[in-house]
Parts: sequence; C-alpha cells; structure tokens
Amino acid sequence: MITFTGARRGTAPLTWGQRAIWDAIQRTAPDDHYFNFGRILEVPRGARPASIAHVSRGVGLLVERHEALRTLIGPGPVQDLRDRGELPLRIAADAEPAAVLAELSATAFDYAGEWPMRVAFVTRGDEVTHVVLAFCHLASDGLGAEEVVRDLRLLLLRGGLSGGPPPQPFDLAGWQASPAGRRQAVSAAAFWEREHLRMPPTMFHVPSGAAEHPPVWRATLSSPAADLSAQRLAVRHGTSTSTVLLTAVGALVAEVTGHESVTVLPIVSNRFRASTRTSVTTLSQEGLFVLEAGKARFTDLLVESGPAVLRAYRSAYHDPADRERVVAEASHERGTPIHPYCCFNDMRFVDQAVYRDEELIRRALPETSLSWPLSQDKLNCRFCVHLGGSAQISLTADTRWLSRADIERFLLGLERMLVEAALR
Amino acid sequence: MLKERLAQLVSEACDGEITAAEALGATVPLSYLGVTSLAQMRLIDALEREYDVEIDLAEDVSFLDSVDGLAAWVSAAR
Repeated sequence: MITFTGARRGTAPLTWGQRAIWDAIQRTAPDDHYFNFGRILEVPRGARPASIAHVSRGVGLLVERHEALRTLIGPGPVQDLRDRGELPLRIAADAEPAAVLAELSATAFDYAGEWPMRVAFVTRGDEVTHVVLAFCHLASDGLGAEEVVRDLRLLLLRGGLSGGPPPQPFDLAGWQASPAGRRQAVSAAAFWEREHLRMPPTMFHVPSGAAEHPPVWRATLSSPAADLSAQRLAVRHGTSTSTVLLTAVGALVAEVTGHESVTVLPIVSNRFRASTRTSVTTLSQEGLFVLEAGKARFTDLLVESGPAVLRAYRSAYHDPADRERVVAEASHERGTPIHPYCCFNDMRFVDQAVYRDEELIRRALPETSLSWPLSQDKLNCRFCVHLGGSAQISLTADTRWLSRADIERFLLGLERMLVEAALR
Repeated sequence: MLKERLAQLVSEACDGEITAAEALGATVPLSYLGVTSLAQMRLIDALEREYDVEIDLAEDVSFLDSVDGLAAWVSAAR
C-alpha cells in the first residue's frame, strides 16, 4: 500500500470532459475496460538503484499533487475528491512490464470505490526497474497521463517538484460553470445545433448483412507507406498529418457511403488554452468535423479542410449536457435519430511531417500488414479510426453495419488513397 | 509594436517551432512553416484573450496565415 495525504477534499460537478467519458463508459458497460489505458515508466538511470520505498514515496507525492488521481465518482455523478487514502501496490518480480500493464488494464474500474490509477512495480532483486500505471479514463486522457509520467520521473530523480500543480479538474468545473465558461459552451452548442439540423442522420445506415458474434471487430493496418505518404501530403499542403488523415477518412467515408456531406467526430485534446495544457484530467472530447466532400477529389478537399478542422476543434470544448439537448431537439424535429457514429482518434503524441521521397514510399509498400487484435460485444459507435504509433491505423467497427470485409477494404483503400495522392 | 507582439504570440503558439523573427519575415503562409491547426487554435485563444476579441470560425480565417493578416484583422476588430 502507498499512503497519501492531500491538501483538500470535497465534491464538485463533473467537468465537461469527465461527463463525456462517463457517458461513453455507461454506453459501453460491461465492456468499459475498453477505455482503460496505461503507461510504463522505466526508472531513469539517474534514480537507480531505486528501492520500493523510494518509488512508493514518489507515487504518493504524485497522487498528492494531482487531485484527479485521488478523485472517485460520487452519486450524482459528482467528483468526490479525497484528501487521504491508501493506494494498492502490486509488486511483479522479474515480470515483463507490458504483460503487467495488460493485466492491470484488463478489468473495468469500480468508479465509486477504487482509486482511478492502478500501480505495479516491476522489480529485479531489491531494485524497482519499471513503474506500471493503468489509468481509469475518468482520471486522465493520454496527454494528462504524459504529465503524470513526466512528474513521476522528476520525483524519482529529484525527490520533489518545483512550482505548484497545474489547474485541477475541481477548479476546471468551477470555470466551466462561470459566465466565461458558459459563453464558450453556448457558442459550441450553437455549432452542434446548426450542423445537426442539416447533416445526414448517420454515416453508416445500411446493414451489412454479415454481423459477427461478437459484433465489434478491430483491424489494424500497419503501413509505413501510408505514414510516409501522409507526411509528404502534409508538407505539400502546409498542414499536419493529423489533418491529412482525418480528411482522407472523411473523403473515403463519402466514397463508400455516397454521402456528399460527411461528419466525423474527432477526439480533440482541448488543451489549447495556456491554463489547461498541462492539467492531469480528461479534457479530450469529441468535436464535429463536417466535410463537404461532394464529388471532389481528396487532394482538393485537403485544401479546404483546414477551416473545417478549426471549427471541429473549437466545437469539442462543449458541455455534453448542451450537446445532448441540441441533438435530441434536432432528432425530434427531423423525426429520426441524428448521430454520425463515425469517430477519429489520433492518439499519437508527435505529428512531425517530412517531405518524403517518392521512392521511399514505393519501397515501403510491401511492408504493409493487417491484423485483427480485438473483438467484443459492445461499443458506443459504429466506426472508430485510431492512429497509433509506428504507422498504425486501426478501424474498430460494428459488423452489423460494416462487415469484416468492409473493414479490411476501408483500411487498404485508405492506404491507396494516401499513396496515390502523395505520388501524384 | 502590434506586429512584433503578434509574431511573438505566433511563436509561442507553436512552442517556438518558428521564432518571432521568422514569423515576421515569412514570405509563405505560416501554415507552411509549421503553424499547425493545433498551433492555430492556441493562437486563436491567445488573440481572444489578449485583445478581447472573438474570432468567428464560420468566416474566412486566412488572416491567421500571416503576421500582416493578423495585424489587419486585430486592428479592424478592436
């Protein structure tokens, strides 16, 4: 056990980001372990050899600093911030850190009764070699977890941290309810409303006739050629690979569904404000990306997608309660449920584009491979694209709407679209 | 002064990826120098705070692509 004592306790409303992930968890349960994720910190050379007591102390200070790590979900739901407690610690002697992480992440969190970060130390002899952290998504998103790891690393090296903690979710909830927060929320809600009154009700509305058991399947395309092509296109068009890939997904959704106006929900970091950049909490939320694809070519769409991406980013910082209301109203007015069920999550932390050589792209093509790493019963979406490290693009889809053959065809089609445009 | 300050905000928005001097002297759109959409969002937030303006993303926002464009926009909006 790791004992911690924080500076304050109390309850507060959920922040917009917490509410959004809470709703997604409710819709995905009992498969909600889907949202767990983790980080592995190799104990830095300068802090070795590190005893269990030394690393435990660092983790304790970390939990004291970041209130998100000692916040439970109370009835309401509300943030239930505690000022003291004991964090269970697993010691895994001579274990493979990735396997320990997989084990820690395998089961859903008890949101009301369990600290939202699970911790294991991998040891060799008396020494801790790795710290394995599994996060409940209510405590943090990927970028917040990066802050946690950075702070833990410094705590192990220096024993303490200079400067106060970044803004906490407890305070963020207060800002979001303030007049300034409401102004942002109202403006974002107006955009969601306007688009929901005119967009296609959903992106994938034709049953595939090829549902699997379980119905949700993920295919992962590992394609250095697609990655290199996206980089070349990003430089050529003065944009990021994230925008290139989001636009490519939109263009291909238009092509395979026949919709001239395509809507995709990109997961947006919402860390554009100086005050929230380093917060440990879940700030990421869905934005609304509207691509008027018409019959335009992908490369022409790339020229126009910049402003649409900015609008999507801004729309992401919204109050989910407002969004729920405007979506319900639009659905009622149009007499049909309106939801894209089509999302895009760029989980990479770097987006570095280099004008890649054509020859390099051609040579990379034979390295492409496709695997099926996941299947499950429930998902709160029909079509989810994830971008991961090392040139991986995955598509998790509901086979009631996209067959496994459709999933595979989409990923290979995406690669082809990127490569052809890059080599043109 | 306004242009120098705006160039500074551009540089900060992209974590110093380009310097204020580079932003001021740019002869191609800033997006081609590495001011990504993420950096543009930070820049928009910084502009709104510093100059107490509101940027409507439904309008043409090509002014974000040069310091001259930013200066003209901010002067007109204030």
